[in-house]
Amino acid sequence: MLYRVMDASELPRLIDAFMEKYEVVAPVKSGRSFAFEPVSSFDEIVLDYPTTLTSLKKYILPPRETLFEFNVEDADVTDYTLRIRPRVLFGAHACDINALNNLDLVFEDARYPDPYYEAHRAATMVVGINCSPAGSCFCHLLDADEVRSGYDLFLQDLGGRYLVSIGSVEAANILEAACDLREATDEDRREFRRLTRERQEAFSNDIPDIQEIPMLMDAFHKDAFWAELGERCLSCTACSAVCPTCYCFDIADVLDPDGKTGRRERILDACTSPQFALVTGGHNFRETARDRVRHRMYHKLNGFNSKHGRYLCVGCGRCVRACKADISPIEVLRFFERKGAEDA
Amino acid sequence: MPDAQTVHVAGLADSAQVQAGNALMMANPYRPWPARITSITRLTATEKLFEFRLVDERIREAFHHEPGQFVEVSIFGVGEAPISISGSPTKSGFIELCVRRAGEFTQRLHEMQCGDIVGIRGPYGRPFPYEDMKGHDILLVAGGLGIAPLRSLINNIHDERSEFGNVTIIYGSRNPSEVMFRDQFEMWRHRKDFNLILTVDEPDDTWDGEVGLVTAPFAGLEVDAGNTYGAVCGPPVMYRFVVEEMRKKGISYDHIYMSFERHMKCGMGKCGHCQIGHQYCCIDGPVFNYWEAKNIQGSM
Repeated sequence: MLYRVMDASELPRLIDAFMEKYEVVAPVKSGRSFAFEPVSSFDEIVLDYPTTLTSLKKYILPPRETLFEFNVEDADVTDYTLRIRPRVLFGAHACDINALNNLDLVFEDARYPDPYYEAHRAATMVVGINCSPAGSCFCHLLDADEVRSGYDLFLQDLGGRYLVSIGSVEAANILEAACDLREATDEDRREFRRLTRERQEAFSNDIPDIQEIPMLMDAFHKDAFWAELGERCLSCTACSAVCPTCYCFDIADVLDPDGKTGRRERILDACTSPQFALVTGGHNFRETARDRVRHRMYHKLNGFNSKHGRYLCVGCGRCVRACKADISPIEVLRFFERKGAEDA
Repeated sequence: MPDAQTVHVAGLADSAQVQAGNALMMANPYRPWPARITSITRLTATEKLFEFRLVDERIREAFHHEPGQFVEVSIFGVGEAPISISGSPTKSGFIELCVRRAGEFTQRLHEMQCGDIVGIRGPYGRPFPYEDMKGHDILLVAGGLGIAPLRSLINNIHDERSEFGNVTIIYGSRNPSEVMFRDQFEMWRHRKDFNLILTVDEPDDTWDGEVGLVTAPFAGLEVDAGNTYGAVCGPPVMYRFVVEEMRKKGISYDHIYMSFERHMKCGMGKCGHCQIGHQYCCIDGPVFNYWEAKNIQGSM
């Protein structure tokens, strides 16, 4: 990876340079919280935001996307062109970039690469920025507090200057043209290490650090804990909506008013919704909220690992705040900690 | 603000250009290809066997399936449904699907006539290990609509019968009127090279087959355990009992294969609807062996 240092006062020029060719989406103040929204000037951007309410997922995997249009009478698809605005997702935290990398594993797999996802991802630049942990952050427990790929630039604030990790030639060209860069010095490197340590120590100690989570998910699969979570779960699917890694979707046809033409859409769905595992004929393979909550946690904390070697949860904490019933991976970690204490 | 780029999602409009069928299908894997209904056979009051032929010659030539795989069928404006292939790969050029009328989509399909066109994409899924099964005895157990995917395997074995040892088929239905492919099986009952056991839960006056669950015939069955592959498909509750019978006969975990039913909406390991534990029924299955199934939370 190539590293350079830029003066913090140059950041607005970088944003301006991006805006010439891209729509810039960045964290802005939204009510009492923060959100990723298109911005028209550097001043709108909040650089030291804690976490946004929803993730960046919608810019790569839109909640509702047309796959193609069709003609009912001909029983065939008609031409369809996807319109994508070239974008810079500016100010993404490490967890959110890791989340996009997880989505890549699903949608850019070698066997069935998804042309829609690929088109969005190819037209999108990702510029990351360092952060300090909020109270519900637990990315460090799931190996998602640092990110090593999947971005075009990553900015580490060293106080008045940024250590910039450059991940793509496209971004390098824009950066070099817009800003004066210099090589990192020993002092920069020392400051980088000091800040990294400081960040690691800032995580909340209230969230237990549990080892062997995938194994424990299997071992306690039948525990009464899941029934208890199931009783609390409202099946509102808010967790999946705010989750940066929940990618499940439904496919449905929408007819135009004349009934002759229409389009096939993919609509983001959630495995916590009651009918998600229903098959024709009426059998529901995950009939109860217990089954569904457990399946969601299982996929996040075990299932995805056995396929891809990493958690599908990046510890961003959004579901912790979105769930009205206090169900979250943190609850699962606390359950494992209680079980460990019982055994001791 | 910069203008939106247009990205042509390949494989939709370019079918006029000369391209290999495989490349066309992969260019946009969500695109269904027109297929014409060439034959409809009523099997029972609620099930019909449809035969389809892909209209585009390039797609037809590129379409190859193996027993146990499924396709996604589109009726534009209604939607899409995963349906297992009931025909043998030896019958190339045609796709046979056995469909129970059970919901809006299947109701609409049942109303269609020969010559009507649907969309088909696929085939998808991991099939039965047909090549590995050659040279072995085969014990197939089907319950109800579970005969649909197994018929592909049964007919393939039939067409290459000399490649296999003893073949036993146990097929259970609720009552005689629900027995599918009855004409085919009636003929087979007199054949020496298939041990066909038809059983029903509720017999009527005409029934001269077995009565009882599909597990009942196991009592009198002689199985060369080390040389046998089992294949099972049926309603969710059936699997546990049948595979345990096969285990009692001594068949190894990894020689007992099951085809699972789930709602495979995308067929490509993405949409999540067909997940069983950590596996996707659509790409990791729908055919799993018992050892694999034991290692999937919530499989049975």
